[in-house]
This record gives sequence, structure tokens and C-alpha cells, in this order.
Amino acid sequence: MNAVLTTMRTALADGWANRRSFAFQVLLMVVNDVTWVLFWALFFNRVGTVRGWNPDDVYVLFSVLLVAAGIAIGLLANSRRIGQLAADGELDETLVLPIEPLPHILTKRIDAANVGDLLFGPVLFVLAGNPTPERVAVFVLGSLAGTVALVGFLVFCGALTLFVGGRGEQGDLGFNAILIFASYPLDLFGGATKVLLFTAVPAAFVTGLPAQLVRDFDAQRAALLVSVAAGFALLGWVTFSLGLRRYSSGSLWSR
Amino acid sequence: MRPYLAGFNRGLRGAVVAPGDLTVRMTFLVIVVLVMAALWSAAVEANGGSIEGYTRDSLLWYVMAAQVAVIAVRPRTVEEVGEEIGSGTVAVQMLLPVSVAGLRMSIEAGEAAARLAAALVVGGAATWFLAGAPPSGAGMAMAVPACALGAAANIASQHAFGGIAFWLLDAKSTWFVYQKLVFIPGGMLIPLELLPGGLEAVARVLPFATMAYVPGRLASGHAEPALLAWQAAWLVALVGVALAVYAAGQRRLEVLGG
Repeated sequence: MNAVLTTMRTALADGWANRRSFAFQVLLMVVNDVTWVLFWALFFNRVGTVRGWNPDDVYVLFSVLLVAAGIAIGLLANSRRIGQLAADGELDETLVLPIEPLPHILTKRIDAANVGDLLFGPVLFVLAGNPTPERVAVFVLGSLAGTVALVGFLVFCGALTLFVGGRGEQGDLGFNAILIFASYPLDLFGGATKVLLFTAVPAAFVTGLPAQLVRDFDAQRAALLVSVAAGFALLGWVTFSLGLRRYSSGSLWSR
Repeated sequence: MRPYLAGFNRGLRGAVVAPGDLTVRMTFLVIVVLVMAALWSAAVEANGGSIEGYTRDSLLWYVMAAQVAVIAVRPRTVEEVGEEIGSGTVAVQMLLPVSVAGLRMSIEAGEAAARLAAALVVGGAATWFLAGAPPSGAGMAMAVPACALGAAANIASQHAFGGIAFWLLDAKSTWFVYQKLVFIPGGMLIPLELLPGGLEAVARVLPFATMAYVPGRLASGHAEPALLAWQAAWLVALVGVALAVYAAGQRRLEVLGG
């Protein structure tokens, strides 16, 4: 645990070293997020409520996504680069250390721009999510569970590169697919797509279910969310660990 | 002209021999079409069957063409241009006896042509499956060149935007902002007719609508040839601005000895 905290502290210090650049990137990401909020405002202004979702519900969903993405690809930036790191033979530096490789890889790099998501998500929730103590608690726990599911899924997709080869395309595809599906209300989708969102691309557990819980808490669905998040974390860990047996050194040392 | 044609060919071949990237993009396109189909179907259903004259099916064709025109272009050209300028790589490119911006744009146009062809086939098939035949054959026939013109305008515009790095040195992250200008004023996420009056008027005087809205509008069944002329005019202007920005930036580098 100490090693992970130290690695994360070093990554944060590294990112923070160029403060102007850090602040600029965070600012640009906030502008990016505000544009999405503007899109939803324009959309609902024109079409009204859609399948029971009103603007406030979508802002909560978007807040959950921002927190989950902010942690998963901001603080744990390598979670989306596992496949690329493996393909480029850049895991060597970690494998020689006397620590568990996955936590070290995940915590050794931050992405300043996505830290902007992590900062803006809670602000959006406070401004548009009708915060009450109960809703705040569910928002925090739901976002964390969504984060665990997202990181587990990204690691799983990235680790597939260790089995099937390529340049990390599996990770890119998984990343793009889950983020886009997680950006939209769950009830828009039906049939096979909805099944997909609860299974192969678990976007429902990243944002849809946490947002529903904030709106209407239900202990059983909350337990399901936590169990599935833990399941994806385990899936990512196991796939990565098994994949490492096939890893060939690239004789490279990098960040 | 030969160096630029060679650049175009190089870009075209580069995109074709990298099937991994092409596959990821096409899969992403299908996912986007699926998601937007779900969103706009629900929106139209909640509004009695049409919004501002767009039916569900015409909106799906709109989404397809707007996405195809955008997905054909490298999304991070602004960042790459900024990086080349900031790191000084551009100084090496300036040794070539051709226009740096012209050659760069021709290579990217070649790449975009390959992706555009694939995206039209994949996106068109997905949309046909979800929404049936295009609402208008004439509109669709015009949407194909409109996608190409839109992609070309996007490439030129990204070079003009990225060229800011000659003065700022760190313009690479501004691609986020650029991308969002294509998303909303450009009509990629929402047709301009659905924007509030003031915002729609602003969007119509900016060049971004020629990159997504025009192909979308034509594919949605509105066969309006004037839209193609609007695109062509902006394309000429944007290429001129990109070349001028690079020329001014290169002179600045030469003066400073960079």
C-alpha cells in the first residue's frame, strides 16, 4: 500500500511540476465538459423529457461519468494504456520492482486534462444534482463503484493485447465504446444494446445504475452494482496477471 | 503540384495499410450511429414524430453523414501541428522546397479520403439497416461530395488553428476547444435548426457548419445545392488562411533563427 501511495504522490508531483500547463489543461477539460452540459441543455430545451429522463437526471449521470473518468483516466491514466504499454514493451520498468505490477502501473502516471473532469464532476452535481445528504452519499458511493467497474474493464481490454497482440487497439475500442455508451441515459437503449451495456460493455454499471440510485435508491440494485464492480476489478486483475506470462520484454524504460 | 499529389498518395496508402486504426474508427462509427439512433429516436417519439421537419429516419441519415465527414479527419491535427511547431520539428520540414502546410494538408487529405470511403460504406450500411433507404436520392448524391468538402475544410481549419503555436508555442491542448466548435456550432451533435435562434445565427456565419451540418442536412433529404457552394467558398478561404498562417509563422521562425 505504501508503494502505491508513494508512486501516486510522485505522479502527482510530476504532473504538478509544470503548474501553468497543468492548470491550462484542467481549464480546457472543464471547457470541454461545459460544452457537453450545453449540448444537453440545448437538447432538452428542444425535446423536453425523454423516456422519463429530464435535464437534472442527465446532469447527475454526467457528474458520475466525470468523477469515474476523472479517477480512471486522470489519476490512473495508464488504465487506458495497458495494451499500448504491453505492445511497446514498456512494462519492463515495473516488472523488475518487488511490488505487485498492476497497482504500480496504474498509479505511476496522471493525465492533467482528465483531472479537470474529477474537479468539475462534483461541482456539476452540487449545481444541478439537487444535493441532499442522502443523494450526496449515494452519488459518492455510486461514482466510486462506477470507477472500479470502469478501471476493471479498461484493464481487461488493455490486457487482451497480451493475448491477441496488436498495438493496443482492443483498449482503444473498449475505452471509446464504454465512454460513449456511459454518456447517455440507460433508458434510451433497448433490446440487444441494453443487454450489451449490462454485460460486454458495462456502461450501465459505470453511470446508468449509479445515476438511477441517486434518483431512487434501492438496496438490492446498490448491492448488484458493488458486486459487479468488484467482479470487473477481479476480471481485469486476473486477465492482466495471466497475460503477463506472455509478455516479451522490450528492453525499454519509460514513465 | 506533383509533390502534393505524392503527399496525397502517401496519406492514402498509409491509411489503407493500417487496418487496425481503420477498424477501430469504423467500429467507433457504428457505435456512435447506434447511440445517436437511440437518442434521436426517443427524442422524436417524445415530440410526436418530427422535430423542426426532421423525422426519425432523416435524423439518422443526418447523424450518419455528419459523423462520417468528421470521423474521416484526424481529430488531433491541431495537437500534432502544435507539437511539431513547439518542438521545432517544423524547422526541418521547412528545408523542403514545398509549402509545409500544403504538403501536410495533402497527406492528411489522402488519409481522410481512405477513411471517408470506408466510413461511407460502413456508416451507410448501418444507417440503412436502422432507418431504411435515404430520404432523398438527390440529397444523398450531394451528401457524398459534401462529406469530402467538409473533411477538407476541417483539415484546412485545423492547420490554421494549430498554426497559432508559431506564436503561443503550446497550442496543442487547444484541440479540445476546436473539437467542441465542430460538435455544436458545427452541427455534428445537433442540427442547426434545433439550436436557439441566436446561436443558430452565429453558427451559420462560422465555418464549422460546413464540416458536419452541410453533409448531414443534405443526407437528411434536403437537396439544397447552395450548401455545396457555401462549403466550397469556406474551403477556399480556410486553405488560404492556413497557408497564410504558416507563411507568417515560418517567417517569424526564420527571423528568430528557430
